[in-house]
Amino acid sequence: MAESPPQTAFAEEALTHLDTLYRGALRLTRDPDQAQDLVQEAYLRAIRYQHSYQQGTNMKAWLFAIMRNLFWDRFKGSRKDDVSLDDVGEFILYEKLRDEGARPEADVLDKLAASEVVKAVEQLPPLHREVVLLVDVEGFSYKDAAQALGVPIGTVMSRLHRARQQLQKSLYDYAVESGIVRGSGGQAVPQS
Amino acid sequence: MKCKDCEEKLDRFVDRELSPTEVLELQLHLESCPDCTEHYDFQVHLKRLVRHACECDAPPQAFRDKLRQLLT
Repeated sequence: MAESPPQTAFAEEALTHLDTLYRGALRLTRDPDQAQDLVQEAYLRAIRYQHSYQQGTNMKAWLFAIMRNLFWDRFKGSRKDDVSLDDVGEFILYEKLRDEGARPEADVLDKLAASEVVKAVEQLPPLHREVVLLVDVEGFSYKDAAQALGVPIGTVMSRLHRARQQLQKSLYDYAVESGIVRGSGGQAVPQS
Repeated sequence: MKCKDCEEKLDRFVDRELSPTEVLELQLHLESCPDCTEHYDFQVHLKRLVRHACECDAPPQAFRDKLRQLLT
């Protein structure tokens, strides 16, 4: 049997990461049609610039970088709005639940609807959302996430920390609203 | 290791980003501290919850086919 042409082999390998790219695009755009457009454009660009991919490096991170850069190109100007996670303070869901006597604390997590978890992730500002997608959903190391996002590892860690604080706060609010936990007057844990 | 140090390293432990020495120190602490062990289990549970909730969306088959045709 004849060997595949190099471009076909490259495309085949790239397509093994389609699920990751699609999930990332869906969570970033929050729209299936836009996600498909974004992924298709990212793949076409990847094929066009395949010479810039270094064999042996993380192709998934390289492809994700192309996809998220396209996303940011399309939403240029919205970066300024991508801050404001400052007012959450130190919010540790585990401690909050423990203080309220919700034991075992992990049982509360089992009662949260998956759709609400997705909603909480999608409510994160994109710069923070993409870190959660890479590290928590796709299992990237901090180093690979840093490569995909084009930022230092320290930035990955700080964005992840803030994103998780916000995520835990959103899940707690949902748990209170839906009666899963009683809550303490809807007050967040004071900032440290 | 004190509980405060453990808490500071918990995220990186859950993400498997600690050095082997740090992992050992933290494991030793967890063995002797039920509170931190419970917190660790909770954080692992939470991370798994986020992953499971977000990873169930797969691209439609028609899109897969279209992309494959376009690229190969």
